[in-house]
Amino acid sequence: MSKIFILDTEKCIGCSSCAIACMDQNDIEPYEGDIPFRVCFTVEQGSDKDSPFSYLTMACMHCEDAPCINSCPAGCLSKDMDTGFTVFDNNNCIGCHSCAMACPFAAPCFDKDGKMVKCDGCIDRVRAGLEPACVRVCPYDALQLVAKEDYEKEQKYKKAKILAYMAFDK
Amino acid sequence: MKKYAIIGFGCAGFHAAKSIRQVDPEGQITVFNDTGQPPFNPMLSTYYASDKLGLDGVFPFGTLEELQQQWSLDIHHNVRVDWVDAQSKTIKLEDGNKHSFDSILIATGARAIVPPSFREGGGDYYLMRTLEDAQRLRSRIEEGGIKRATVIGGSMVGIKVAELLHENNIETTIVDAASYLFPLAAYESIAKLIQQRLEEQGIKFVFGAQVSTITQEGVVLGNGNTLESDIVCLCIGTTANVELVANTKVVEDSPVKVNRGIVVDMHMQTTCPGIYAAGDCCEGINLQTGKTQIIGLWANAAAQGSCAGRNMAGKSTVYYGNILHNITHFMDMDFIGLGDPTLPGERHTFKKDDLIVEAVLEGNKINSINIFGNYKISGILKNHLTKLLMGGDSKLTIAQQGLLANQGLSWEFIKLIGGEI
Ligand SMILES: Cc1cc2nc3c(=O)[nH]c(=O)nc-3n(C[C@H](O)[C@H](O)[C@H](O)COP(=O)(O)OP(=O)(O)OC[C@H]3O[C@@H](n4cnc5c(N)ncnc54)[C@H](O)[C@@H]3O)c2cc1C
Ligand code: SF4
Ligand code: SF4
Ligand code: SF4
Repeated sequence: MSKIFILDTEKCIGCSSCAIACMDQNDIEPYEGDIPFRVCFTVEQGSDKDSPFSYLTMACMHCEDAPCINSCPAGCLSKDMDTGFTVFDNNNCIGCHSCAMACPFAAPCFDKDGKMVKCDGCIDRVRAGLEPACVRVCPYDALQLVAKEDYEKEQKYKKAKILAYMAFDK
Repeated sequence: MKKYAIIGFGCAGFHAAKSIRQVDPEGQITVFNDTGQPPFNPMLSTYYASDKLGLDGVFPFGTLEELQQQWSLDIHHNVRVDWVDAQSKTIKLEDGNKHSFDSILIATGARAIVPPSFREGGGDYYLMRTLEDAQRLRSRIEEGGIKRATVIGGSMVGIKVAELLHENNIETTIVDAASYLFPLAAYESIAKLIQQRLEEQGIKFVFGAQVSTITQEGVVLGNGNTLESDIVCLCIGTTANVELVANTKVVEDSPVKVNRGIVVDMHMQTTCPGIYAAGDCCEGINLQTGKTQIIGLWANAAAQGSCAGRNMAGKSTVYYGNILHNITHFMDMDFIGLGDPTLPGERHTFKKDDLIVEAVLEGNKINSINIFGNYKISGILKNHLTKLLMGGDSKLTIAQQGLLANQGLSWEFIKLIGGEI
């Protein structure tokens, strides 16, 4: 069953726990030159005290019609049919960065050998019935992984200020 | 049962076959290709030539047997199709055999250009398009003894070839008739900067120089000078393989229109009903100019092939077109060109440390963008530019703005290109 990541921007406090859990899960060492898959940041729209202000956290959106897949000349990216996650096998990756140019969300990262790496939705954890590391650690349930069907059906997701981690964030 | 024919089994041909099969489980899909290989990716040729990829890495979709089975295809390899007869709906193969079809896709790609005058000097030269080209260069490098190389063409392919020669400790000179690198994608300012960085690493350049021929000594220029070279690589572009439909027998007075490439509409259909074209052999819509143009890119060939396949199988599908866009990663640098750099407008520049982003704006319309030194933001800006041209929301999303800022762009510049503060 296809799953999607959602972020309730009203609940997120920008604590960065999700980004740190992601680094821990994926053995990312930023001080050794690794690029984190998940980033947390604030967006301030204007400088008045009432200006809108949001905390966001972003990693691969696992787009439904993922443009990165067909952009890869070496066939490294594909869809996992069970989870809907955009997964990769970077064995033949040539480091051309074409996937980065196709991705609207700056998700592809590169390791020290110049090979593409990115969020795989913690697919091994999810297959084992666990939550992705970022979701598991969020203290406010701001970041969640939900079944796509439920997201589309359930009213509660419509009401909240949700950033749906799907293609071209609508 | 419908009979489909696909001529050319590269990226476009493969995606068309796959799409047809996804829509029509019954139809007979016959593929003709003039090589004995599964769909090869020309983009990988320089990586194969420099031994960064093995043979198993250059066929991204699998082996012929796998593809034949997975998509139930009837694959005829090592046969050239000479002619398409639209009137009788048959194709003529080079061995004289004929084959009939109901619907046909031309996905014959392109071949490297070799001006006849270059051949007259009797010198040897290396091309970079096919697997054979890559194998030939790879063997020559392995043979050793190359001190000096000349690459004709300061193109994206030329730079990748220069990179691989340089990595093999060969003194490399790039020669081009233009006055700077990547004139179809880059602004002069950025091109000069790239040139400077490459010169610092030891690559030499000769710009504004016509090549008159190639001799055994090297490359002879229009001014009579010879660039002495142990090896010459020719990377001055490609020409679309259109000959098989150029003089086709027509139906209802609608010949297949061919400019530089085969002209197609948004359904990837040529001007002759029932004949489709996709990939490097065709001219689809350039979203910026509204005119048809060859946009010879891997992902474009995939999208066009898929669209053509679906339409051939009866599922009406539109591919609106594309913009010129390129990302080239070479010698630890990233250059990204989005949109047509020759379109007019005012130039705005953002510079911080190693990142340079320049944009040409006509009023508040973005005409083109150059990025040097950051691959991360390329996708956000490419998608933004494409969305604008498709008539979508003219603003970057909050998330995209935050990501751009996170990568070091100033809020002022983000606002300029479509942010909202
Ligand atoms: C060195 C190099 C670097 C590149 N770098 C990039 C890049 O960085 N990014 C990018 O997006 N694109 C890049 N490209 C372009 C990209 O590879 C092409 O756009 C893409 O492969 C086109 O696919 P296609 O299916 O249209 O054509 P092709 O791959 O050319 O396939 C056409 C097939 O048709 C066959 N054929 C031709 N005529 C006939 C006939 N009459 N009968 C039977 N078969 C026939 C050919 O043998 C071939 O197998 C690069 C290309 C090269 C050469
Ligand atoms: S967010 Fe980027 S990398 Fe992830 S699926 Fe979408 S296009 Fe691919
Ligand atoms: S960088 Fe690697 S994964 Fe990304 S498109 Fe190029 S080959 Fe594919
Ligand atoms: S862990 Fe939760 S609250 Fe903290 S930044 Fe991530 S999504 Fe926001």
